[in-house]
Amino acid sequence: MRSICRAWSANRRSELILLLCGAAAACLGGCASVGAKPWEHDLLAERAMRVDSYPLQSAMDDHIYFSKEASTGGRSYAGGGCGCN
Amino acid sequence: MQLKPKPTSGAPTLRRMLATAATGLLASAHAGAQDEPPDVPTTNVDTGVLYYHENGRVQAIEPDLDVSYQVNEDSLFSFGIAADTLTGATPLGAVPSSLPQTFVRPYKVIPLGTPVTVTTASGGSVVTIIPPATGAKTQTLAATSTVPANTFPLDHSFTDLRIAGHMGWQQSLSSTLKLDGGVAYSKEHDYRSESAHLGLSKDFNAHNTTLNAGVNYESDLSFPLGGTPTPLTQMSGDWKGADASRHEIDAVFGITQVMSRRWLTTLSYSYAGDRGYQNDPYKIISVVDPVSGQPTTQLYENRPETRRKHSVFLDNKIHLARDVVAVSLRGYKDDWGIKSVTAELRYRFQIARDYYIEPHVRYYSQGAADFFHYYLVGAEPLPQYASADTRLAKFHAQTYGLKYGMPFNEGSEFSIRIEYYDQHGNGSPSYAVGQLRQQNLFPDLKAATMLLGYSYAF
Repeated sequence: MRSICRAWSANRRSELILLLCGAAAACLGGCASVGAKPWEHDLLAERAMRVDSYPLQSAMDDHIYFSKEASTGGRSYAGGGCGCN
Repeated sequence: MQLKPKPTSGAPTLRRMLATAATGLLASAHAGAQDEPPDVPTTNVDTGVLYYHENGRVQAIEPDLDVSYQVNEDSLFSFGIAADTLTGATPLGAVPSSLPQTFVRPYKVIPLGTPVTVTTASGGSVVTIIPPATGAKTQTLAATSTVPANTFPLDHSFTDLRIAGHMGWQQSLSSTLKLDGGVAYSKEHDYRSESAHLGLSKDFNAHNTTLNAGVNYESDLSFPLGGTPTPLTQMSGDWKGADASRHEIDAVFGITQVMSRRWLTTLSYSYAGDRGYQNDPYKIISVVDPVSGQPTTQLYENRPETRRKHSVFLDNKIHLARDVVAVSLRGYKDDWGIKSVTAELRYRFQIARDYYIEPHVRYYSQGAADFFHYYLVGAEPLPQYASADTRLAKFHAQTYGLKYGMPFNEGSEFSIRIEYYDQHGNGSPSYAVGQLRQQNLFPDLKAATMLLGYSYAF
């Protein structure tokens, strides 16, 4: 019974991987139709539209949340670099 | 009549498109002319001072400075320094009691026979001498503090100064490939952290898609005042064990996609593998009487020596007619049993060309670590791992903030931001025994921050 379950779970896992690969391929295919032309990057060049517009302030915020909450990482590396209490 | 600049229109006008294309062509032509100086800023100086204040607990002041310098067309050098000064009180981990409680911690080691003149230590503690072992050449001074009845136990001796610095280099290897690396260092009176990172990013689809990957290695050393306690042993004034180390490897993979002229989206995944000393050496957990709920012993906490963390982060920035909205979501999970979600929203009202107002809301919710306990019950067997650190408890938190910014040149800006952070947990678990039913085991944490920022490009 356990081996059947294991085989079923392995099949489900490979189906899931195939599904994820398909979704990723669809996304990448879709990505070809999204985007902006080179002369349309004017707004994206503004500071407010950068991936991290204010890195110094983000780092300060991360430091506070690192010392008060259990979660880290996401935007950047998870390490806190301090023994915050 | 006052003439005002025309707001950014909804659709790109032919004039704007031509202007942008012409600027790009001119910039390319200009870059080719080696004898002319660049007309864009090459140095960015970013500074900030953060003031953080908790109700009745920690307060901190943190000045930060980051500098980046465009060495040439392909290379960027950056460095930064930061300093934190922290004072105030931090939770011990012990439960409150309807009776006064006494807590003791090692304070100082002195040669045997040295006359002791100090009678109090920081935080109002009373200094006592621990009887030395036979043949010992040193003796330990301990600091004893008393917490009044029905009061959440805090360590009032908490004070720290942290100095941190980092340095980095970013190199364009081609028009679409960038390499970046750097090192960071931070030091406190009882903790040291060193790290190094390396990352690579590659543009595709005419710079509309960027894939990035990076790794970071961090090595930390904990050398707590009074030594490193043996986990799950009784709190005492004795000097404890040697320093303890911790190592972490992080990896980040991300994709940034320009969805349209007005929409930028980022999806990233980060993994962190942690190994070594994970305990907070100052945190304890109460063992209580199963009937009365009165604490009978205080033990040093114990956390697993490994931790694997996974985060998925999605960020969206949308440029509206003039305003910019940023929405982000983060999901987090680790093998300590903690799961969390974070949602953030920032809306930048671009009131005029030279100033904006940005409200900010953040919601955070986390589940408890498998080994989190408010307290341990005396009659039950001791678990392998136990911590009463409320940062590992189930709670949710909100942040509300407002920023006022004044951009005044390309890359230069002054800003002031105030924020309020409010953390709520369950202070009255249904299974609490005896007097603990009348106590608040998770007092709310409320904190206010003020951040002054000034960045200058030249």
